[in-house]
Amino acid sequence: MRFNIFCILLVISINCSAQHIQVIKFNELKQRVFNQSDTTYVVNFFASWCAPCLKEIPAFLQLIDSSQNSKTKILLVSVDFKTDAKKNLEPIINKYQLPPIYLLDEPNGNVWINEIDNNWSGAIPATLIVKKNKKRKFIVTSLTYPKLIKLIKLIRLIKLIR
Amino acid sequence: MKSLKFILLIFAFVFINTAFAPQKQLVNDFSLMNVDGNKVSLANYKDAKGFIIVFTCNHCPFAKLYPPRLNELNNKFKPLGVPLIAISSTDTMMYEEDTYPNMVTKAKEEQFNFPYLFDEMQTVAKNFKAQKTPHAFVIWKENNSWVVKYSGAIDDNGMESNKVTETYVADAVNALLNGKPILTKETKSIGCQIAFRKK
Repeated sequence: MRFNIFCILLVISINCSAQHIQVIKFNELKQRVFNQSDTTYVVNFFASWCAPCLKEIPAFLQLIDSSQNSKTKILLVSVDFKTDAKKNLEPIINKYQLPPIYLLDEPNGNVWINEIDNNWSGAIPATLIVKKNKKRKFIVTSLTYPKLIKLIKLIRLIKLIR
Repeated sequence: MKSLKFILLIFAFVFINTAFAPQKQLVNDFSLMNVDGNKVSLANYKDAKGFIIVFTCNHCPFAKLYPPRLNELNNKFKPLGVPLIAISSTDTMMYEEDTYPNMVTKAKEEQFNFPYLFDEMQTVAKNFKAQKTPHAFVIWKENNSWVVKYSGAIDDNGMESNKVTETYVADAVNALLNGKPILTKETKSIGCQIAFRKK
């Protein structure tokens, strides 16, 4: 009986984490954010082992909250090592009450990092703000909520000028 | 007249070549404290043809995957005149784990067979334009200066060393030793940002 309950709990917990972490390839991520829709995408690259990344997570959560019903979508993309990602990411998902996140399944950074930004060495934290694949801002330092809002406004301004 | 045209053509050709040739990145020699308490400079190595310089650190999980591979690289290339030197440039105010005493411990624990230098002022990282850990450079001696020949990842799989298919650093050094062109001169990989202290 006890074992049964344990099994049920185990299944539930595995399901939960499966919903919370979606494993994707870079091509899928590309299709998701480099498109012609009217949405501004804010893509944050982080890892459970990157302390400065965790420090800026509250800013992104605040942005997610304030961006509901707007044309801004925030994607949290983990570059954790796939082999122990679930074990390392789950405590962070619970601690910060993260929405569903992506886990990028690309062991070789050299095949995709340039496509995010040519000048990016691969250092994290890093954040890309992009609209219609043309208007871009790419930042490789820790961000705050006010800074994020400013950057998103800047992207919108580019649209007005055009 | 014909010869004048020819000379002009040559001038134009030389001009275009120099104007559009990629700029060489030169780096300076340095003098940094090793984990054994001695200062190390490139000039100490009289017979070195080049170096493998790896910016790494104690705390970064990506960097933690590489010590055995760094030992292997040094074993292989030091006898051929291309020693490996590791440098830690992380801001120790941010990462206690990266302080000098902890570097000493790390080098012992992982049995580093190469110098592990403390770039306390972060000047060497700035000079190399190192941006993260691990970040590898292959430098080569040309006319008594040090020229960057390769910059980027050590290989193409940090997590699983048994799944490595591209050994970028080793390939670059082999090409240089054999006088052949380096096929991949720059690569990108995920790593921990070297946060430079504000003055």
